[in-house]
Amino acid sequence: MTGKRVLVVDDEIHIVHVVAIKLRNNGYEVISADNGAEAFELACEEKPDIIVTDYQMPVMSGLELVEKLRQGDDTKDIPVIMLTARSFAITKEQQEDLRISSCLSKPFSPKELLGNIEDVLYQKQVMVSN
Amino acid sequence: MRLTRILYAIVTVIVASSLLISGLAEWQDSGAEEGWRYTGYVQRIPVVSVCYILGAVGVIYLGWYQLRLTRAVMSIATLLQDEKSGGTYDGKKFFPTTHRLTKINELYQALSKHFACCTSRITEYEKKIRDLQVKNQLSKRRGENTEAIIYSIRDAVIVIDESDRLLMANEAAGRLFNFDYNSSQLKPVSELIGPDQSEFTDFLSHNRQRKGQATRKEIEISKEGPPKIFDCIVSCVYEQDRQVCGAVAVLHDITREKQIQQMKNDFVSHVSHELKTPLASITAFTEMLADGEANDEKTRKEFYSVIQSQAQRLNRLIEDILNCSRIESGLIKVNKETASLTMLIEEQLKMIKGYAEEKKVEVIGQKPIIYDQVDVDKDMIQEVIVNLLSNAVKYTPSGGSVKIETEVDENAALVRVRVTDTGVGIPEDDIEYVFDKFYRVGANNKQAEGTGLGLNLVKQIIEKVHNGRVFVMSKVGVGSTFGFELPLTTRQAVRAV
Repeated sequence: MTGKRVLVVDDEIHIVHVVAIKLRNNGYEVISADNGAEAFELACEEKPDIIVTDYQMPVMSGLELVEKLRQGDDTKDIPVIMLTARSFAITKEQQEDLRISSCLSKPFSPKELLGNIEDVLYQKQVMVSN
Repeated sequence: MRLTRILYAIVTVIVASSLLISGLAEWQDSGAEEGWRYTGYVQRIPVVSVCYILGAVGVIYLGWYQLRLTRAVMSIATLLQDEKSGGTYDGKKFFPTTHRLTKINELYQALSKHFACCTSRITEYEKKIRDLQVKNQLSKRRGENTEAIIYSIRDAVIVIDESDRLLMANEAAGRLFNFDYNSSQLKPVSELIGPDQSEFTDFLSHNRQRKGQATRKEIEISKEGPPKIFDCIVSCVYEQDRQVCGAVAVLHDITREKQIQQMKNDFVSHVSHELKTPLASITAFTEMLADGEANDEKTRKEFYSVIQSQAQRLNRLIEDILNCSRIESGLIKVNKETASLTMLIEEQLKMIKGYAEEKKVEVIGQKPIIYDQVDVDKDMIQEVIVNLLSNAVKYTPSGGSVKIETEVDENAALVRVRVTDTGVGIPEDDIEYVFDKFYRVGANNKQAEGTGLGLNLVKQIIEKVHNGRVFVMSKVGVGSTFGFELPLTTRQAVRAV
């Protein structure tokens, strides 16, 4: 999965920093944004392979970002992993409707996040090759 | 003798008619409709009226009976007079023989016994009437008391009969559903309340038909203004034979309780989010260190520094939450003493100097010094001042300035403190919320870290502990002015130098 581009979105600079280090150490290319609106623009321009986003952010929340991504022709199929500090913030129905690949609760393990990213990208690759 | 009988008949008719008229009049006054209608609080039968009418019937019966007796005695006397065999008669007076006298005496004894029995019965009936009258009075008073209690209840109370018609409602119910409760009796409750509140009327009707135990339901009612939430309890009303004859609904407004519950939930949710954010950084960086993801000493030091700053942030957050909670609950110990606000500001200006120099922000103190005496908890007010000053420095870019001023308003007997910066400013939509718990101005979030509790703590200390007032003015790109007012100790203590 090396060389894949990951967009990390969080208003907490330390979270972006730690996720970026973990991913770069494992051969990923990382781009980042600190709110949903900025992330959407970046997603349209850079076409990342996967997006890791926080749920609660200023300007545009993670959920609003995913809704907007699913409406765009170029962005509708980008897999999304959601990080959230609020338990039960996203319902099962919302997760299925918006095709959110997985939800991780904060505090989270960077190792677990990396495993999730690898799984999602592998599934995407299998689907494309089929 | 004939005249006596006529007089007796006239008296009987007069007494019986009086009683009958009184009875009918009483019936009319009490109202047949009211009297027969069962409300649970009004006597079922108009006892007084019935007593009067029964009395009249009794008098007529006794009169008729006495007349019959008199006629019988008269017949015997006439017979005796006619026979003339039982004694002598001198044309004026009859002198009976001993045998006849005995017969008459026996008749007299029997009549006397009968009259005594009648008198005893009349006395007994009179006693019963008096007892019924007392019971009726008690029942009426009890009914009136119960109605007065129901009318004085603040919760809405509605009573319906077995046909879902309104029997009784208090003023609160009338206000809630917009009907005149005095003129709405026996009207179908669904018509009175309207189809838009069918959830309530259906619940009421369903529970009356179900004839079960009292049932509770939260119902939203929106007649005028914002919707309100009511805790509605419906119980069946039973007659003496345990038959359900209606239902009573009590509606208690729980809108405020619901709002408080929601605020508590939001607070817990917000606190957990705020606590988890630094915790997430600490956990992630610790795991990275443990997994050897920090390749060099410089990266490791950077990780340690992040962990340390996030731990401090967590500690600050916990302290702020506890302080806010202590002030709100009134548990915090307040040590008020007379102090000069200017002196307190001077001390805090020294504290903030290092941070301001580091950020290259000029801090301008106040001139001239005014001896402004206020009764304050010095530690708390110092926390307020340092909060306002550090916020101003935090949100002011390098090269900007922060100015603190104090002025005394002698007419209003208060001292006003203003902290003005040339910082990023606050968008208009955010201004009214800046003193709310955990509120952080979204546009300025990147500018600096914060718990979202500092300004709420300032507001609590000034307004709740010191009876003062906080204020804010701001313009995006120009700067902000945060300040507070505190009452002066005495006007005599104020003098400028």
